[in-house]
Amino acid sequence: MKWAIIRFPGSNCDEDARFALEKAGLKAEYVWHTETSLKGFDGAFLPGGFSYGDYLRAGALAAKSPVMEEVRRFAHEGRPVIGVCNGFQVLTEAGILPGALLANLNLHFTCKEVGVRVERNDLPFTRLYQKRQVLRLPIAHAEGRYYADAETLARLEGEGLVVFRYAPLKGETDYNPNGSLHDIAGITNERGNVLGMMPHPERAVDEVLGGTDGLPLFLGLLEEVTG
Amino acid sequence: MPKYQATLLIELKEGILDPQGRAVEGVLKDLGHPVDSVRVGKVLEIVFPAETLLEAEEKARAMGRLLANPVMEVFTLEALKELP
Repeated sequence: MKWAIIRFPGSNCDEDARFALEKAGLKAEYVWHTETSLKGFDGAFLPGGFSYGDYLRAGALAAKSPVMEEVRRFAHEGRPVIGVCNGFQVLTEAGILPGALLANLNLHFTCKEVGVRVERNDLPFTRLYQKRQVLRLPIAHAEGRYYADAETLARLEGEGLVVFRYAPLKGETDYNPNGSLHDIAGITNERGNVLGMMPHPERAVDEVLGGTDGLPLFLGLLEEVTG
Repeated sequence: MPKYQATLLIELKEGILDPQGRAVEGVLKDLGHPVDSVRVGKVLEIVFPAETLLEAEEKARAMGRLLANPVMEVFTLEALKELP
């Protein structure tokens, strides 16, 4: 299975994404945002970073890139699409996932490890986790406060589209790092082939990097093909 | 073709918490200004060609729809003028 890692001007987690995908045994290649075809690829990974310097809004300008029509096609065809951090912001700005990511409530760029609870494990991205397992994953963002109107939130909850939620690691009560509604850290689409999340699983795939809780997410993608 | 200048105002929708506005509000109060609230938005001044004022307005609104995110923002065409 070959993954396209989409590079926008200002992406900076592209190499981390490749490291994680390849560590899981997947093939990955970089694709510049001006490309108009993802022919030959099976999945698309939108990495973190600061596309276009977060100008206008985080992810807003990258969402208009030529390659995003192909990412939209992947999403509609049921191919796996993952957006992490800025990649999640790009997916919401493109309307591929609902809602928006607003400035953190405390207005700080927050870079730390957080608890992230797995809400469902019937997706390729989460099949190797236990349901309600709490992962230790790093976050690094200034605009991560998930927002959607009441109707959209009700639909997300009703259809079980919340995949990851911030949760206490050691019983702390201030575990929500950014003020996300319903503690939402990651969501999927109705079909379950598109994942958007603010925490960085690709930065948690090696003990040397401080943890491996992100690795099963990538290994689960491999299992989709071989298993 | 004549040139027009559109002024687009992009604001967070009512009811959406604006921490940036809150921070500015706090500073204003600290400096002795009794303010009730502050909201921070964006102003875009766009210069572009159009044949008529009517066409210019259509183009300006189309760009507003493209640049504002309807999930949490509204845009207003604040001003539109033909440039000399």
